Amino acid sequence: MNLILIPIVLPIAAALALLLICEKTKYIKELLAAGAAIVSLLAAANIFLQPPADLTLRWFGSAAFTLHADNLSAFLLLAVSLFSAAISVYSFSNPAKGPAKWFFFNLLMTQGFAAGAALADNMVAMLFFWEGLLVFLYTFIALSQNNHAARRTAMKAFLINGVTDLCLLVGITITAYIAGTASMSEIARNKLTLEYGWAVFAYVLLMIGAVSKAGAFPFHTWIPDAATDSSATFMAYVPAAIDKLLGIYFLARASVYLFALNQTMSLVLMTLGAVTILVAVMMAFVQKDYKRLLSYHAVSQTGYMILGIGTLNPIGIAGGLFHMINHATYKSCLFMTSGAVERQAGTTDLSKLGGLFRAMPVTGLCFVIAAAAISGIAPLNGFFSKELVYKGALDTGYTVFFIAAEIGSFLTLASFLKLGHSVYFGDRPENLKETKEAPFSMLLPMLTLAGICLAFGFGAELPLNWLIVPSLAGMSIPNPTMSGFHLDKLYFVSVIVILAAVINHLIGLAAGGGKADKASDHIHYAPVLKETYALAERRAFDIYELGMDKAVPFVSRLLFKADRFFDWAIDALPSGVAGFLGGSVNRFHNGSYPLYMALTLIGAVVYILLAGGLK
Amino acid sequence: MDLSIKMLITAVAVPVFGAFLIPFAARISTAARNAFAVLLGLFTFLAAASLAGTVLGGQTAGFTLTFPRGFDLILHADLLSVFMASVSAFVSAIILIYSIDYISHYENQTEYYAMVVLFLGSMMGLVFSANLLWMYVFWEMTGFASWRLVGFFRSDKDVAKANKTILVTVFGALCMLIGIIMVYFDHGTLDLRALHGAGISYAAAAFILAGILSKSATLPFSTWLPDAGVAPSTVTSLLHAAVLVKIGVYAYARIFGVTFAAPDAFSNTVLYLAGASALVSAGAALIDTDIKRIIAYSTVSQIAFIFLGLASGNKTAFAGAILYILMHSVAKGGLFLCAGIIEQNTHTKDINKMGGLFSSMPVTGAAFALCSLSVMGIPPFGGFFSKFLVFSGAAQNGNLAVLLMFLAGAVMTLLYLVRLFYKIFLGEAAGHGNPKEGSVTMVASVMALALIGLALGALIYYPSAYADLLTNTLGVNLQ
Repeated sequence: MNLILIPIVLPIAAALALLLICEKTKYIKELLAAGAAIVSLLAAANIFLQPPADLTLRWFGSAAFTLHADNLSAFLLLAVSLFSAAISVYSFSNPAKGPAKWFFFNLLMTQGFAAGAALADNMVAMLFFWEGLLVFLYTFIALSQNNHAARRTAMKAFLINGVTDLCLLVGITITAYIAGTASMSEIARNKLTLEYGWAVFAYVLLMIGAVSKAGAFPFHTWIPDAATDSSATFMAYVPAAIDKLLGIYFLARASVYLFALNQTMSLVLMTLGAVTILVAVMMAFVQKDYKRLLSYHAVSQTGYMILGIGTLNPIGIAGGLFHMINHATYKSCLFMTSGAVERQAGTTDLSKLGGLFRAMPVTGLCFVIAAAAISGIAPLNGFFSKELVYKGALDTGYTVFFIAAEIGSFLTLASFLKLGHSVYFGDRPENLKETKEAPFSMLLPMLTLAGICLAFGFGAELPLNWLIVPSLAGMSIPNPTMSGFHLDKLYFVSVIVILAAVINHLIGLAAGGGKADKASDHIHYAPVLKETYALAERRAFDIYELGMDKAVPFVSRLLFKADRFFDWAIDALPSGVAGFLGGSVNRFHNGSYPLYMALTLIGAVVYILLAGGLK
Repeated sequence: MDLSIKMLITAVAVPVFGAFLIPFAARISTAARNAFAVLLGLFTFLAAASLAGTVLGGQTAGFTLTFPRGFDLILHADLLSVFMASVSAFVSAIILIYSIDYISHYENQTEYYAMVVLFLGSMMGLVFSANLLWMYVFWEMTGFASWRLVGFFRSDKDVAKANKTILVTVFGALCMLIGIIMVYFDHGTLDLRALHGAGISYAAAAFILAGILSKSATLPFSTWLPDAGVAPSTVTSLLHAAVLVKIGVYAYARIFGVTFAAPDAFSNTVLYLAGASALVSAGAALIDTDIKRIIAYSTVSQIAFIFLGLASGNKTAFAGAILYILMHSVAKGGLFLCAGIIEQNTHTKDINKMGGLFSSMPVTGAAFALCSLSVMGIPPFGGFFSKFLVFSGAAQNGNLAVLLMFLAGAVMTLLYLVRLFYKIFLGEAAGHGNPKEGSVTMVASVMALALIGLALGALIYYPSAYADLLTNTLGVNLQ
């Protein structure tokens, strides 16, 4: 068997085996899941170091099932396997994940399908795995809590992603038709251009599929809901890691590998990125719940990646991809800390938490590292990837995107100051006096990810040279010169941003009466913003809620009317006409012999006239 | 006589004549009757499936019973007819097995079994007929059987709906007869083998199309199908999901796909009609609250996707449509049978009175979910592949408006099926007792269909290779 199949087949086989294991057994399910995830990680590392030959299987129609581990795919596979392994270890003794059997089933299935999507060279095969994730997205959320809210959110996630996956499907069919092949490596040899309408349509559909998977505005609205209605483990795994990795991976593939984009599309992408950054970070800043706050940041950070790729210059793309892996690392770590706090303290409500650093020093330390990384504080990994994105944005000449990204950074840091302060520092509430540190199985993956944040920061050249530059080279993008980039003037901008955020936090604290969880109230309840936030909390800007409440009922009522019209046309109308004609004809059947004779005569005359006329 | 010819005659004659023996079997005992009916179904399926070897080997089997003036009864097994016959007979056999428990506490059971088997026999005759006139004869026989079956419950309302069913489809069939007569006058023969590759006039094509659309419940003749949901669920499953509505689709494939070269403008009209049908019925499925009507509307909508594939005029789409017939028969049949279990155990068809049934009917719920996923076209289920191929073909066809209509139709499919599943199985429980799970045979039948949907996805290579072979060997005028 080709090594390339192991990261796909092994998790799926293990997931199916899990279904046979009795629910009551202890540790067997956990060990099986962790074992499969770790073996897959080893296989992925092997594939990364020594790319195996392509694997082509005969499939359906003209579509070949080809797995191809080029640099970018192998990098992505490694990341997917790493997070799967980390999460499976983390979930070992975390009770807040729903039924263990189904949790691990979903986890392994998601891993196998995500690995397939990463490795598939044929877009049809990629779509197969990509869209297949939908089922497990639904069951993951629906089974994480036994209540209606979880099922409703699962439905929301399923529908948003299902609709955009259909867009992706249509996009892929058109792209494959235009290019004459569905193989990405073959299309890349002769990139498509956006010269005519069908190509633009195809690219836009592919882009919708990609950014929706990555969780960008306006397709993000299920993510904050899932933060409250599902488990921290799910959040750490799917929206924080897997979905981001796949979405940005395919966005990069579509934008620079399959298509040669033009200036307009670049602006569209950068605008989408900037809007995502700002909208989501504004929402994140005012959240009062640990997980929900993180979830908005998971959306906001996607904006940086889209912005980076949208610049279409090597520095920006490198930044986007680097940010993708960095974000997955620290956001997954942050969600893990939220899960640990939830397990140990019993809540994620910021107003009920405080001073946990002493009780949970390791969790606190991991939080501080990851929070510093997401806020772009030097010299952690997030700093470097953000700098690359800034530099790429500046190089396009559109300073506005650079400014938007910097404002995003300011608010990100501000909200993590608020979050960290209200959970880990300040006074500890009376009922949390007995809180203890989380178990080792939860700490180990957190420490690993926090360690990666440090390693990718202090040794930023390592991931850049090993992961990012080869990936770019694989997509035939010239090697960007990144050496010494963090010493230019952007460094001072970032210092100013940090200072501004700290000052903002102090002002907020003063305005909020020293309560850290109220440190955002001076912005939350500012004029105009207050009303906007109130509307947003009522989901007035949520395209899903708007669609389901207004557009879908309206359109379907209209269509239903059409259906009733056709029903009338084939049922009531012919019956009515038949009844009317029958009634009319009936009047001639009155038993009068002369009338019958007259009618017969008239009929005969008409027949003769017609017959003669025809000749 | 060759074995394959014997099998061909068996596949048609056994159910047609067997149906008339069912009343005699009922004289012996109920069990004998039920077993006889199931055996007839299974035997028909095996006979039809056994022909696959012959047609896959590149051969065909034919049998002719001579009648004057060229109205010969010609039975002809090729890739398309064997495919259609096997799928129909397979789903019919499952439905017969499921019926044993489902129908056991209603009246007129003997008539029910006789009509189901007669229906199956006429279906076999229809698909194997290579003479348009005999196709018409069997066509009307299926209409007769479905009329009796839709009116299985004898209340005035049921009978009225059954009458609507037969009136609409017979109206269409008579139109088709006119079309067939026009073909006869144009070409002097009704033997489809002799007509291969011939041209067809617009008028004849339009008349035949009216018959097809009315049988396949496509706009503007669609609404008899949801109305016919008053029938027992087995019947709706058999008629509305798996077999009867596929007759029109089959006739389209047979007449315009592999026999006549359909004019482009004609195909385009079909595409727009199908697109409108997909949208209108999907909208209705989002509004209606009767579980069986919703699934029936969904059938109307999905049939439109098959027409999209058949009329797009390229090989990818045509092969996709053939796969679509298979995937949809299995999945939609399963959905109707699930609806039967739900209806029987909750004593209601109103989805607003259900809710939270997953905890009391987990297996039915799981089967329902799996079948829905296949209808939605989510991988790894079989429905994904057929939907993908049909969309691929539509993209090749290059008609943006049609493509967008069907994209909207596919989105609405997601919406109404998710809504349906949520309303029935999740959501707040609404005032029902604690309904029981269906009987073992019933639950096993639906689960079998659900798992077959999954298996068809996993082993897509084989059905797809069959569809490709069919398209390449028989297709006419395809890009």
